[in-house]
Amino acid sequence: MNQMVSAKVLEYRGKTLNFTPEDPAEAKIPAEELHEHLQKPSTARTKRLKDRCRWKHASAGEFIEKSVTAGIERMRYLTEAHKASVGQPEPIRRALGLANVLNKSTLVLQQDEFIVGYHAEDPNMFPLYPELSHMAVQDYLMSDYSPQPASEAAEINEYWKPHSLQSKCQPYFDMKDLGRMYQVSSMEAPSFASGYNSIVPPYETVLEDGLLARIKLAEKNIAEAQKVMTTFPWNGTTGLDNIAKIDNWKAMVIACKAVISWARRQARLCKIVAENFETDPKRQAELLEIADICQRIPAEPSKGLKDAMQAKFFTFLICHAIERYASGYAQKEDTLLWPYYKASVIDKTFQPMDHMGAVELVEMERLKISEHGAGKSRAYREIFPGSNDLFILTVGGTKADGSDACNDMTDAILEAAKRIRTAEPSIVFRYSKVNRPQTLRWVFNCVRDGLGYPSIKHDDIGTAQMKEFSKFSLNHNGATDEEAHNWVNVLCMSPGIHGRRKTQKTRSEGGGSIFPAKLLEITLNDGYDWSYADMQLGPKTGELSTLKSFDDVWEAFRKQYQYAINLCISTKDVSRYFEQRFLQMPFVSAIDDGCMELGMDANALSEQPNGWHNPITTIVAANSLVAIKKLVFDEKKYTLEQLNQALMANWEGFEEMRLEFKRAPKWGNDDSYADPIITKFYEDIIGGEMRKITNYSGGPVLPTGQAVGLYMEVGSRTGPTPDGRFGGEAADDGGISPYMGTDKKGPTAVLRSVSKVQKNQKANLLNQRLSVPIMRSQHGFDIWHSYMDTWFDLKIDHVQFNVVSTDELKAAQREPEKHQDLIVRVSGYSARFVDIPTYGQNTIIARQEQDFSASDLEFLNVDI
Amino acid sequence: METNTCKQCTQFFPVPEGADDYQAGKADCVLEKEDEKGKYWLSKPVYESSQKCEAFRMKH
Repeated sequence: MNQMVSAKVLEYRGKTLNFTPEDPAEAKIPAEELHEHLQKPSTARTKRLKDRCRWKHASAGEFIEKSVTAGIERMRYLTEAHKASVGQPEPIRRALGLANVLNKSTLVLQQDEFIVGYHAEDPNMFPLYPELSHMAVQDYLMSDYSPQPASEAAEINEYWKPHSLQSKCQPYFDMKDLGRMYQVSSMEAPSFASGYNSIVPPYETVLEDGLLARIKLAEKNIAEAQKVMTTFPWNGTTGLDNIAKIDNWKAMVIACKAVISWARRQARLCKIVAENFETDPKRQAELLEIADICQRIPAEPSKGLKDAMQAKFFTFLICHAIERYASGYAQKEDTLLWPYYKASVIDKTFQPMDHMGAVELVEMERLKISEHGAGKSRAYREIFPGSNDLFILTVGGTKADGSDACNDMTDAILEAAKRIRTAEPSIVFRYSKVNRPQTLRWVFNCVRDGLGYPSIKHDDIGTAQMKEFSKFSLNHNGATDEEAHNWVNVLCMSPGIHGRRKTQKTRSEGGGSIFPAKLLEITLNDGYDWSYADMQLGPKTGELSTLKSFDDVWEAFRKQYQYAINLCISTKDVSRYFEQRFLQMPFVSAIDDGCMELGMDANALSEQPNGWHNPITTIVAANSLVAIKKLVFDEKKYTLEQLNQALMANWEGFEEMRLEFKRAPKWGNDDSYADPIITKFYEDIIGGEMRKITNYSGGPVLPTGQAVGLYMEVGSRTGPTPDGRFGGEAADDGGISPYMGTDKKGPTAVLRSVSKVQKNQKANLLNQRLSVPIMRSQHGFDIWHSYMDTWFDLKIDHVQFNVVSTDELKAAQREPEKHQDLIVRVSGYSARFVDIPTYGQNTIIARQEQDFSASDLEFLNVDI
Repeated sequence: METNTCKQCTQFFPVPEGADDYQAGKADCVLEKEDEKGKYWLSKPVYESSQKCEAFRMKH
């Protein structure tokens, strides 16, 4: 209790290293309340905005703030348009639906805000998407968050059932297989049922061209196509292609015009409030400035940083929340905003401001995202405890010529994140050896303040992947070697191209999960799930008595995995088939250069393949295989039957045996027994089998191991496992992270283990928890920097850090009201700790807090 | 019996001619709201002939 941040001493290379806080003032702060002293909003305005932020965080599927509910306007106006447009081409129906929502929906303007725009009729509401998932809407209808009037919402939902993606896709599958997916224990439910989605909007075209220019392009293309159709001699083999193209271009025009008009309604609202409601002359002037911006933007190209930020936010709302729901906040924000930062901050040619003005703008952006509500189903609220959705932007990395891509906008983004302290949006930093030191220092400052971000991705690995996937491009127009440097994380982990074209538009390309721990559990029971669903969950791959060798177990697991991953990817591709026929995205298509050129819908066009799927709970399965090999087949201490008997009893009455299985070698300790087995598991099965599949885009599908909150959710549905884990306990918290508390040999042993997995992988999440006193000491940056360089040299794809003490976490559990600013990294996203259910909080406390020994510093070659 | 319409409300702001969504008689209904998180304003399209709502405030 009340322990000070500890002063620790270490002998290293003949020196005595003293780990007192770099900032001497911190020595007076009790360790258990450190994070309550770290926020420093850059202005009084951003402090006010944070104090009154309308968070939409959920915990155990329930919204924490009581006023949060679903709105009805989006579903009402979308449905009205759908009924009124029967008989028209489907892309045009979709555009008219968007236009009707934008033209008729209520706009929101809040006190103090500078970046304006919202996606529902009240700032405490969020929209729903019956056209995507009627089951998700049904869930809301049965809850306290139901849109009102509930009877109207129910009628709308009923209307959409036959038109929904789920209804269109489901007939092409055996209900037995789908029933297995709906358990969400060995596979995530198909996206056509959940409505969950992700996208990388081509923001660049909106900021650089403006929507009026996009309309002109579409109109020119329509005119040219119509000319071709009337030119002698008619050629039916190519001429008929113009019909679909003309429909798509017409839909783009309708969508862009509607977005411009909607933004200008927002301009009018600001002007009306300035002239009729607001009494403060300074705020009046500001509202008129916002009105001017929204009148011009996004119709015209952005000219300054305020323009660009507003254009970006409007585009985000349309692409992620109004035209269709999509999780994420994928963008290369520092590169995207740099020309406008330069114009406003350096050249001062438009919307002049200083660097701190840019920082304030980013703080306001972060708070807008923190208020953003997502109409996700209960299941998807449960798997992101402590957050409102996944919002992840990317900075850093390298330019097309390989030089450092960091700039002053990168620093502004990082400084704002450190100052305002919000869980959203999370940040990914693309780490390269050429990144400038001043930016690395900002990255470190955020990490050591315990924000859990930036999470770090290996710049070279991401770039190489984009080049590799490009080879499979069906239209031979994948990313060039230069464009391969233009990548961001699509969501938590997977890289994807950003820019004017070739970006990922739908989660049916990459995303969704498979759960190896459950697959291993059923492998030991001939495909039967005795512990959760009490049903045949996979194919029959052999009774226990037929598994005579470790290879037999291995191959039986392989068959279970092949069945599950095949189903996962085929359901995504069938979703894609219907998305492009009934869920067209005319606005997203309009802002993509490829769709504009080819007259194609964004769901249909794939220039850069980017197939991935997320194995989650891999390490529980892998550690279990190691224990089986060692104790059953190598040492023959137990038979598989004895093991199964103990598992079916949840180890009750078998404690000594459980401890032996628990003590078997575990991942993350640079262990010569465990690591080759686990490496082979990743490369041969998890990645090897997945990459045999070819998806819609013509490329392979590769594993992107991560966890989000599913390691808790699926852990609770997974029975006892041979790694010594009890049934229902959480699984491993990252794609390649050691199981919590089992990495006992220090941080560099973890790096050595993880670096062994290289083949057939797209990404793998590594969660690490670092010592607070060491990171906050004067040596903190040097140690972290050396750690990062070593990590880079070992060719590890990813790492993210928690820098928070157990004392502080436990203090927050005791008195949550005093720890509202304590943020932790869950897995792939950060969350306010007190908003996470206790079950999840305990998994974070249980993670190994890595200290650094002298031998660790030697391995890292730390120069102090 | 007198029937008030949106046109007679102080929160009725006609859409200016030349606006993308201009229609004769169309307006923005702008309401000021306040809750424990602060003030905010809502704007939705209405028409001058629309029946008054609960938030109606007569112009003086």
